[in-house]
Order: sequence, then structure tokens, then C-alpha cells
Amino acid sequence: MSRVATQRRKAAFGRFWTTYRHDRAGMAGLIILVFFVLVAILAPILIPDDALDVTKADGERFDGPSLAYPLGTDDSGRSLILLLAYGTRISLTVGIAATLVAMIIGTAVGIMAGHFRGPGSHVLVGATDWFLVIPFLPLAIVLATVLGPSTLNLIIVIGITSWAGTARLIRAQTLSIEERPYIERSKALGAGNWHQMTRHVLPNVLPLVLANTTLTVAIVILSETTLSFLGLGDPLAPSWGALLDRAFSSGAVSRGAWWFVLPPGICVVLVVLAFTLVGRALERILDPRGATA
Amino acid sequence: MIRRLIVGITAGAIALAPAAVAPSAQAADPVVFTVGMLSDVDSLNPFTGILAESYEMYQLQYSTLMQPSNADFTPAPGLAESWEESADGKTWTYTLRPDLVWSDGTPLTANDVVYTFNRILDGRYEKTNYGNYLRNVTGVSATDDRTVVVTVKAPSPIMERLAVYILPEHVWSAIDGKAVKSFANEPGEGETLVGSGPFLVTERQAGQFIRLVANDTYYGGRPKVDELIFRIYNNPDALAQALKKGEVDFAEGLTADVFSTLEGVEGITTYAGAYSGFNELAFNMGAALSDGTPIGDGNPHIQDLAVRQAISHAIDRQQLVDAVLDGYGTPGSTIIPPLYTTLHVDPATQPYDPALANQILDEAGYAMGPDGIRIGPDGVPMSYRYFVRSDSDTSVKSGEYIKSYLAEIGIEANIKPVTDDALYEIIGRGEFDMFEWGWVVEPDPDYQLSTFTCAKRSYKDGDTIYADLSDSFFCDPEYDALYAAQSEETDQAARAEIVKQMQQIIYDNVAYVITFYYDNLEAYRSDRFTGFLGQPEGSGSLLFQYGTYSYANVAPVGADSADTGGSDGASASPGATDQGSAGGETEPASSGGSSTGLVISLVVAALVIVVLVLVLVRSRRSASVDSRE
Amino acid sequence: MSLLQDAAVGEPDPIRAPRVSGSVLRTVGGKVLRAFITLAFVVVFNFFLFRLLPGDPIGLYTRGRNQDAEQLAELRRALDKPILEQFLTYVRNPFDPGIDSTRFSRPVWEMIGERVWPTLLLLGTAIVLASIIGIWIGIRAGWKPGSRFDKTSTGTTLTLYSMPEFWLGMMLLIVFSVGAFGIPGLFPVGGIVTPGVDTSTPLGWLNVLWHMVLPCTTLTLIYLADYSLVMRASLIDERKQEYLALARAKGLRDVMVRQKHAVPNALLPTITLIFLSLGFVVTGAITVETVFSWPGLGLLTYEALRGPDIPLLQATFLLFSIAVIVANLLAELLYAIIDPRVRS
Repeated sequence: MSRVATQRRKAAFGRFWTTYRHDRAGMAGLIILVFFVLVAILAPILIPDDALDVTKADGERFDGPSLAYPLGTDDSGRSLILLLAYGTRISLTVGIAATLVAMIIGTAVGIMAGHFRGPGSHVLVGATDWFLVIPFLPLAIVLATVLGPSTLNLIIVIGITSWAGTARLIRAQTLSIEERPYIERSKALGAGNWHQMTRHVLPNVLPLVLANTTLTVAIVILSETTLSFLGLGDPLAPSWGALLDRAFSSGAVSRGAWWFVLPPGICVVLVVLAFTLVGRALERILDPRGATA
Repeated sequence: MIRRLIVGITAGAIALAPAAVAPSAQAADPVVFTVGMLSDVDSLNPFTGILAESYEMYQLQYSTLMQPSNADFTPAPGLAESWEESADGKTWTYTLRPDLVWSDGTPLTANDVVYTFNRILDGRYEKTNYGNYLRNVTGVSATDDRTVVVTVKAPSPIMERLAVYILPEHVWSAIDGKAVKSFANEPGEGETLVGSGPFLVTERQAGQFIRLVANDTYYGGRPKVDELIFRIYNNPDALAQALKKGEVDFAEGLTADVFSTLEGVEGITTYAGAYSGFNELAFNMGAALSDGTPIGDGNPHIQDLAVRQAISHAIDRQQLVDAVLDGYGTPGSTIIPPLYTTLHVDPATQPYDPALANQILDEAGYAMGPDGIRIGPDGVPMSYRYFVRSDSDTSVKSGEYIKSYLAEIGIEANIKPVTDDALYEIIGRGEFDMFEWGWVVEPDPDYQLSTFTCAKRSYKDGDTIYADLSDSFFCDPEYDALYAAQSEETDQAARAEIVKQMQQIIYDNVAYVITFYYDNLEAYRSDRFTGFLGQPEGSGSLLFQYGTYSYANVAPVGADSADTGGSDGASASPGATDQGSAGGETEPASSGGSSTGLVISLVVAALVIVVLVLVLVRSRRSASVDSRE
Repeated sequence: MSLLQDAAVGEPDPIRAPRVSGSVLRTVGGKVLRAFITLAFVVVFNFFLFRLLPGDPIGLYTRGRNQDAEQLAELRRALDKPILEQFLTYVRNPFDPGIDSTRFSRPVWEMIGERVWPTLLLLGTAIVLASIIGIWIGIRAGWKPGSRFDKTSTGTTLTLYSMPEFWLGMMLLIVFSVGAFGIPGLFPVGGIVTPGVDTSTPLGWLNVLWHMVLPCTTLTLIYLADYSLVMRASLIDERKQEYLALARAKGLRDVMVRQKHAVPNALLPTITLIFLSLGFVVTGAITVETVFSWPGLGLLTYEALRGPDIPLLQATFLLFSIAVIVANLLAELLYAIIDPRVRS
């Protein structure tokens, strides 16, 4: 990439940041996200070595909030606040990894479907439509059942069930970009498909992909929570959804142990809300025309 | 569009209507005993069902020739009042009680027994559930109305434990071998099934409830309650709440966590009954087909007795009971649970002792590696695949603990949660090192003992390897010889001695580490019902037994109850009982509490609606004010 | 899954949308054909995916049963047919009444038949309530974006939108059914009706209603978040349209403009989206029915996960897919027929 282009991008980012800083909802979302990301990164330092080892848990089981256990204890007597911190790590990892999978598939399919003509493109469009129509959760349940419960499989399942919306968006964008004269020119100059797609189309759809990514992460985290709650994730990795599953199946509801149920849900709400706010802010700034105010 | 949706809803409500229970129009308020359970019956046809809930219905509906006693599981009279083995052990003679009658008035005779046995012997489908009981039988005949003679190939102790439900020939002869496969055996509107047990099925709403009525002709005497309802709950929480609110009188099969929330609640008695199930950590002791051909890819370390012994010493079974079962169980030892007092043996030679476990591994040449994982004499680290059942919270939770115990002695367990379906296949092919699962053991130990015989290892059909009963691939000639001996030993005491030796062999070889025997957690409204009989007496389950002892004896508090009664009975007046079933006609099983809740919540709902309407009206007015600005 | 993200779905595809070109019939035919192709894919996918599963269902479900080895082998042989033969049998009739659930040993379509009505009742009520309340909130918020009502309602609905519905259900259960924070347990903890209560009487209906309050509230709150956000967005879009400025310039009162022009136009995409949201609605049904033990299709799906019960899972997946495909088709047709811009 030429230096001019780099500088231009830097300047564009500067302009973008100035605008973003003044978006109150967007900033609120960003701050929440930074907090959770810090917790996720620092989780191994914050959590004492043996604190999550069930055989060494020293708390009473299902104990309410206290000084030693600010959010109470789980069904094995472990500190819920520590589990929650560790869960942040897992939920965010799954959320981001699955989003990446979805984004890569979605962007690739979208660009190719928009760039090429002919039967191949029809197949891609057809596949996109198919994934858009099929109800998400039943499909994910079916896939997760076949693959078996593990964190990696969860990422794969969510990834391959969440890309279609992105693909559709990117395809539409690609189509409009390819109408632009300079692409015509580069075609005339004999640029290959790969060159056109990676050098001209991709950089132009990237801002849209970015906005779409943050919105997708929000949905993906909700999906992770739902699938884990249904017992389709790794039951030993205490993501927020798995914690809720554990609370539900260990009878926290009937004990009235709200401290086991409330915090994981609040974390989910905060993170999903934060990603949504950031995503909407990005949409407003990057694509003011299509923004939902 | 919205109109269309509303039409849909009305259609739904109409379709729901027939699901209702028609209130029984008995003169006096019938005494209804309602049991809440967590799983529906899979079929009321005794040839089809496989779930414990179904078997509970079968034994309520149909009687067997004999049944395990509620005192200690020794064979006790059922339809047969006595039975006798010939001197050579080849002929059994059963004498039925006098004057047995089916619930429709038809006499119950030896011919019904012969019919049922022959149906199983001759049928293909009918063999599925009961074929094993009759596998030695060569002939069945009725010498008179009350005498059944059965000939067998070899002496068979199982002939004293025939858990075969005797069916009314005059009803079942209409259902041929083909029709029986899809026969639901459900009563029509207003009918009851013909049976001989204490209760008769009269109505079933799949997924919701099963209603039974007392059988006037039951040989043990008419039960003391008029109706028995089994209501299905989809989670233990809901069941516990239903018990608290009085929607049910008895909660069966609760989970430990929910069970403890019921302790100390007024009017409710919680009861952790010893159960016939255990959970185990099983080892791949050298997977092979029944002919000895090795299969699978189990780590050879596991075949080393020292490794298995070390693991057994590393597991704190008491902590598992306390943490996984909430204390409702007992630490495990051998494959026959202690509630079978006459059969169980407890060697108690593998106590929790991590230091000893480490020492055993050190001596056996498994040296500690740099990262805390021992290296075997073959240079391979002690890192094993450990499968747990993702379908079971108990299994997953046990797995978490066991992984941690093993880490203490330098063994890495890589937990792999899989579905039951997948695990079954993995075990069958021997592609595991360790796994966590459990068994439920019948009063007759034959089946359980057979799971460790060489013959029950996997087998090949075509190119596919199928699992048989053995999941540890244990194979020992001495054990097999003992197995053969016990299967022909009709002297119960002598057989028990052999069974104890066999348990000892499994225990010493550590084919399983039995982690715990879990309790069956039950709770009931002791302010309303009394007269439950445990099996075994004093410690075992109150319902879901091998027999129907409690059902036949349970009675409302205050009414006469045969055996127990006494203490509770004194405090309650008949008036209190009436109050318990207030709402009689429409809500036979619900207490005053839930109808109060209904009234309050309806009032609240009405208030909410009023407020909503007010807000709407106000906002419309303010909207027009807005627009004038 | 989300309406916000898939909002584009309802809009006619800029490239392929049948713009003018006369024949509505052809459009309809094309759409129906496409729905059928989608459906065919579901059937094929449904079949082959489950063949990938490991497992020996016959062996598993006889583990612990006192059963004959020969009998077992026979049962297995009945299942073990060449894959093509199995496929043909399946494709010929995916609704074969003879397919039994492995867990309940009952025909799957019979079980589904029993479970359909409770789900329709619960979802139908929740969708109607959510549409009415959601659209009302959306109109108020969207007409005066930035107003206090808008800020409060958008904040609330965004929060609701971010909530896992089953979590909301669990919290409502703890607070209003088990009783916490000083609130007594007013509502039943689960199920659809107290056993023994006759649902053909008014008291029976009330009883069902009483059981429905919490699950229905949960779903309504979650759904209305989506609906109001969409209504608000499309009303804001509509406000920008020139004809509205014209209408105002003509001196029509603001409220008249809103009621007569903007709202009806903005309603169209919202209603379309309500139809399109069925896939998302189904998600809520599965988890919320599980939490409240509501004996519908969602709970059945959850129950089918243990084991897993493949025939049952296959059947519920097929049914959910059909429902969503049909709803999508209806939405598209509705859009094509009503929207003057599409029909032109």
C-alpha cells in the first residue's frame, strides 16, 4: 500500500474518531466494552489458582452474597464473581471468534456473489437465502448435536449459522461498487478477478463490514448464551450461558437463589447492549444514509 | 393479519378443550393421591415401554406371580401364594391364590398365566421386555385353575423372580403379534383397563397426567385412596413448587438441589431412600471382541492394575457424595448396591489416600514429569481420554471432581462430554480410556453380574462392531466360572455367597471405581397422606419400588391406616383433610394455597389491564395536545 | 435471528426484485417455487446431517434392559439398510406416522400434534400483544425522535432486545412464582393447567390463562423490543419522505398526517417483519417453554436433545423450518401485493 494511501486512511480515521467521540451512545457502549475486555484479559491474574477447582472450593453451596463472596457461591461452593470473570473470557472469546468465522464466510460469499456472474453466483445467492430463511436456533441445535458439545464446535456452529445476513449486505454493496467507473477501468486494463476483489472491492466494503461486525458480535453472544443454556456448549467451560444452564439445572430458581441467575444475565445484557450501541454508532457515522437514527 | 392470528388462537383453545379431565362424578369426594414425576410414561403397553415410569404403571395395573418383598427383596407371594421347585430343579409348580378375579369380574386363572408366558415364548416382539426371564423355560401348562407348571432346561434361580406381568387372556387375545407393536393399551373415554393390580388406568393425557382408580378386586384388598394421579413435570423445580403449593401430594425422583429446598417445609416430609443405582468411573481394561480379538485404542497404562488401584485411592468418594449428590447417597464399593442387604459385600480396602496413590504409581515406575504429569515406563505421559455424559449433570459434575483428583496424583484426564448415543458407540468400539456412567441393579443380580463376563464383550455383525453389555471389557475365567455357578444355584443363601465372591473379584481388579450409590429423593405431604412403606423397609424408596407396597397402603391422614399412621393421624381432624382437597370437583389435587394465588393474580392482572387502558386513553389525549403545539 | 440485522430481508432485492413487468401471477409463482426449493433442501439436509451422527440407538435404548441378544440384532438389522434406500424412504414421506421417538417410543408426529396447540396459543398471544404494544411504542417514539418518550422507550427496548429471553423468564419465575424480594409467589411455576381442571369450562380457561401469564409476559417483552425498534425506524424513514412535507404544507394537522399517511406506510415493513420474525420467535419458544415447562414444541425440542432423540429432533426441525418458510413466503407475497412501489 502506498504511503499516500496510508496517510489518507490515517486522516480518515482521525475524522472518524472525532465524530465518534461525540456520539454519546456509542461512547457509552465503548466504555462498557473496554471494561469487559479488561476483565477478560486480566481474568487469569484476578482469579487465584485454585478458586475454580471444585474439589478445593471452600464456600458454602448456594450461599448468598457476603464479604468473602460478593456475588455468593454456586452449587459447588465456588465464588460466583470469579466464575463470572472467567466466564467473561469464554463468552467474549466465543463471541469474537464465531463472529470472525461469520464475517470471513459472509464477506467472501458476499463479494464473490456480487462479483461473479453465472451459475456459481446463483448457487451462492441461493445458499445465502437458504441460511437466511432457516430458523437459526433449530438449525444451530441440529448442527451442535451432530458435532457434539465443545467450545470449538460452538464457535463453528454459530459461525456457520450467522454469516448469511452479512453476505447479503456485502453482495449488495459489491454490486454498487462494481458499477463505479474505476473498476470498469481496471477491468479494461486486464486486472484479474482476485485483484479486483481484494484491491478494489474489499477495501470499499470494509467499513460496512466493521459496523456489521459489532452488531453481529452482539447477536452471536446472545446465541452463545442460548446454546450453552440448552447444554450444547462445553459444560465445563463456565461461559455466561453455561452458568445460567448450571443455575437452572441445579435448582437455583426453586431456591430463590437470584444471585446465581441475575449477574450472568446482566453481563450478557451489558455486553450485547454495548456492542449494539457501538454498531449503531458506527452505522450512523459510516453510512449515514441507511442509519436507523 | 392480526385477525388471522386470533382465529388461530381460538382454534387452539378449542383443540385444547378435549384435553380436559372430566371431573369424576362420584357421590362423595373421592380421595385423590397425586404423584408428581419428571418423565412421562413411554407406553402403557407392557410389551413396548422401557422407562421406569412405564413399569410403575404396569405393576400398578397388572400383578406378577411373585414380587420382591418390601422387607429385603426376598421373593414374596404375588398372584401365586406358593411355588415349589422339583428335586432335579427342572420343574416349577406355582399355586395361585384362591378366587382371583380380573377387575371386570372375569376369574383370573392359571390359563391367563400360561397365555402370558406362551405369548412371550412364542412372540417375537413380546420377547423384547420379558424374554430373558423365560429363557430357560421349555414348557408351560395349567394343571388346574390354580396351578401352573413350568419346565426349565436347567436349575434357574430366576424362576423365583419372574417379573412378568400376567395379562388377561380375554382382552389380549384380540391383539395379535402384529397389532401388539402399535397397541397403545390406553382406555377409551370413561373406560378403565382390565387388570389385577391395586390401581387401574382410566385416563391418560400424554405429557400431562395419567389417572388411575382403585381396583375393588385387588387380591391385597382395595387401596385406601380412590384415585391415583401421576402428573408429569418437566423440571424438578416445577415439581418441588407443585408440592409446596399442594398441586401434588408426592414428588418422585427429585434432584438433590431441589430436594434440599423442601427440607423443613411445614407439612412436607422429605425422604432420601436408598436406591438400587450406582455411578462408576469405568476403565478400558483391554477392549476386545467376545472371541478375544483386540479392538479399540485404549491406553495400555489403564490395563496396569497399579494404575487403576492408584486412581481408586485418589478419589474422595465421600466428597463426591457430599458435593455431587448433596450428601444424598453413600460412597461406592461394589457392583451390587448395599440396599440388597443379602447380596452386597463391602471390602473397604481402597480408602481415599492420595499419598498412597502417589506411592503406588512411584513404585510401579510412573515417574513424575516436569509439568506435573507422570510419565509411564513406556515413555508416554499419563494423559487419558475421560468421557462424561453431557446429558447428565451428575456425570459432568463428577467428571469435574475426578479430573481434579487425578491431577493430584499426576494423571491428566481430558474430559470429553458426549451424548449418551455417542458414548455408547465409543464404548462398544473400545475407543476410550475412562468414562463415567452408571447402572441400576435389579433384585436378581444375574444381569448385572453378566456385564463383566468375557462373553458380553463387544461383537461383530458384518463389519460393524456392536457394544454388548460389557463396558469395561473385563474378562476373567475364574469370574466366568462363578457366574455360571450362580446362574444355576437355586439356594438363595448359597447363591449369595457366590455373588459376594464375584463382587470381590471386580473390586480387587478395579474394573470400575464405583463412585457412589445415589439415593432416590422423594418428598410428600405428610400433612395429608401417611402409610408409606419403604423397600427395603426403613431405608429404601417409598414409590417406584419392585412392587406396589406403598400404593396399596397409603391413606389420608386421619383415616385409618394399617401399619404406620399413629403419630400424624392424631393431630389431624377429618375437617383438615377436607380443607386439603378444597375446590373438590374442579381441582381435586390442589390446595387452598393455589386457588388463593389464582384469585390474587387475576386481581393483579385486572388492575394491570385497567392501568394500561388508562395510560392509553391519557396518551391519546396528550398526543392530540402535542399535535396542537 | 435478529430483526435489526435482517431488516434488509423484507425489502425487495435491488437487483432481482420484480419491478414492474406486469404479471403478479408470475411473481407469485416464482416465490412459491423458491419456497419449495428451500423446503426440499431442508428435507435433504435434515436427512444427511443426522446420518453423520455416531451412535447405536438400538443398543443404547436397550442398555439396562433384560433383553435377548438375538432380538437386539434383529432390531438393528431393521434399521441398518443401505443409505440410498433409507433416503428414498425418508424423502417419500418425511411425515411418516410410523417413525417413533427413540426416547418416548411413540410416533413423533403424534407427539408433535399434541404439542402444537400450546405453542400456538402461547406464541400467538405473545405476538399479538407484542405487535400491538410494540407498534404503539414505535409510533410514539418514531414520530418525535429525540423526545423524552423516545429516549426512555428506545433505551428500554434496546435493553430488552439485548436480553436472553430465558433469563428474563428465570428472573420472573424467581420473583413472581417462587417469591423473592418480599413478593409472594403468585403464579404457578410451570405447566399449562392444574391437573384435574377441566379446560372446557370458563374456570379452566382462567386456569390456563393464569399459567400463561409469566411465559407470555416474557415473550411479549422480548418480541415487542424488536417490533417497536423496527416500527420506530420505518416511521423515521417515512417522515423524511417528501409527500409528508407536502401534506404538512397543505396545512394538514400533524396528527392527521401521522394517522392518515405516515403510520400506514410505515406499518407495512413492520408487519412484514413480524411475519419474517418467525424464525426468531421460534428461538424464544424453545428456551421459554423449557424454563416454564410449557408443554409445547419448544419443550419437546429441548427434551429431544437428551440422548439425542434423532427422529424427534429431525421432525421438530422440519416443522419449524416449514413454518418459517411459509411465513416468509406469506410476508413476501403480502409485500408484493400491498406495496405500491413493488407492484407499481
